[in-house]
Amino acid sequence: MPQRRTLFLLAVLCLGHVLLISAQVQSKSGLPLVEAVAFGAFAKAQSGTAAISDGIRGLWSHYFALRGVASENEALKRQILELQGQLQQEQAVASSARALEATLKLQESVPAPTLAARVIAGSPAPGSLTVTIDRGSADGVAADMAVIAGSGVVGRVINQPAPHASQVQLLIGRNAAAAVTLERTGAGGVAVGGASDLMLSIDYVSNQADIQVGERVMTSGQDGIFPAGFVVGYVQRSEKGTNYRLVKVKPSVDFSHIDLVLVVLAKPAPDLNAAAASGRSGTPPSGTGAPGGRGRGPQ
Amino acid sequence: MRLAWVLVTVVVAVVLQVTLARFTVGGRWVFDLVLVGVVYAALQWGPVAGMFAGTIGGLLQDVLSTGVVGVGGLTKTLVGCAAGVIGTQFVLVRPRARMIIVVGATIAHRLLILVFYTMIDSAQAAWHWSGVPWTAILAEAVINSLVGFIAFQATEALPGALARGRMSRRSSLSRRSW
Repeated sequence: MPQRRTLFLLAVLCLGHVLLISAQVQSKSGLPLVEAVAFGAFAKAQSGTAAISDGIRGLWSHYFALRGVASENEALKRQILELQGQLQQEQAVASSARALEATLKLQESVPAPTLAARVIAGSPAPGSLTVTIDRGSADGVAADMAVIAGSGVVGRVINQPAPHASQVQLLIGRNAAAAVTLERTGAGGVAVGGASDLMLSIDYVSNQADIQVGERVMTSGQDGIFPAGFVVGYVQRSEKGTNYRLVKVKPSVDFSHIDLVLVVLAKPAPDLNAAAASGRSGTPPSGTGAPGGRGRGPQ
Repeated sequence: MRLAWVLVTVVVAVVLQVTLARFTVGGRWVFDLVLVGVVYAALQWGPVAGMFAGTIGGLLQDVLSTGVVGVGGLTKTLVGCAAGVIGTQFVLVRPRARMIIVVGATIAHRLLILVFYTMIDSAQAAWHWSGVPWTAILAEAVINSLVGFIAFQATEALPGALARGRMSRRSSLSRRSW
């Protein structure tokens, strides 16, 4: 049996933890100062370990694993050619849209500036779907800014960023949500994460909406965090529910391989969102997730 | 001196956890190297060391992630203490026995976290328990036990290997002198 001294120590430590927890539960907030200091201090170590692991990976991929690079190069050249063609088409569409905006005297829809960032660490708590990026307040990153990748929405910045690091809550996390709209039907809803199969589900979609499998899901910009028009994923399943349709979405981003991301440095203006939403049918209810707050709880 | 070793164990575990977690984000492979470190400290140096390792490691995890600060610390303190007590009561020299302790600690740790969150936020109790990924917890237990097995084997084999290396160097030097 444990000694009396051990039991006394256990009781003291447990009491300390309980007091710490109850202080946060009563104030309904975390320990922002302690967390910011610890995160800032640890971010430096994370950058160091990321540099070492990237070095090892780079050594392997740049010197040893070069088999098949020539054929990959050919394929990439072909892809560039195709993309250049697509870019020209998109430029033509964009210029006609700008001309229309000018004709209709609409406010010009300027794309938000972005900042490239590297993922330097995962979450220290297992199952918690957050990552740390190497850009922080010194680079202009602030809480609640949207984070995207080439293929779609990744998540949002949570907590106060350190000078050179920020924590990003992934969209598939349990407390994450984004206002979305379905591209074909225009039906709106709220994409929420937290499923054990790492899929997203869309809440508040009307049972009347004609949603098809494979339909693209985009951000609607109504949550005030994610600007409108970013790809969230593709509808995987859609069936009628009791009050609302049950829609499952496969995220467009492969969350198991995120190395580089883009932080959207500007938040969408509320009046622009309202203007964008007014033209759509079945607008989603306002208020998604907890912008500004942090999702607390087991992931 | 023992406290220093406990601190080194926990810090190494946290650094390894964040470094490796980066490559498994959103994947199905979940592991908790900090918990493995806590169990290692508890079995190696006793329940007091397990408690300290649990408190420091758990609090570090809490402040660096999105949970309520203290829940991870409390859970890991309890698990560390229990593992240490079991380690002093039973002879746990076989790797299989230690792996079983790590598996038990992983499941107990997860369940305790759920219980504490249910107590903190009783209104959301059903929500906390609804999406519990039981298969992921079992997978985590398996991965943790494998990592624990490697860590225990490595730390046991390292002093012997170093001593053998020293001996062989000494013997080769003595041969050269003749």
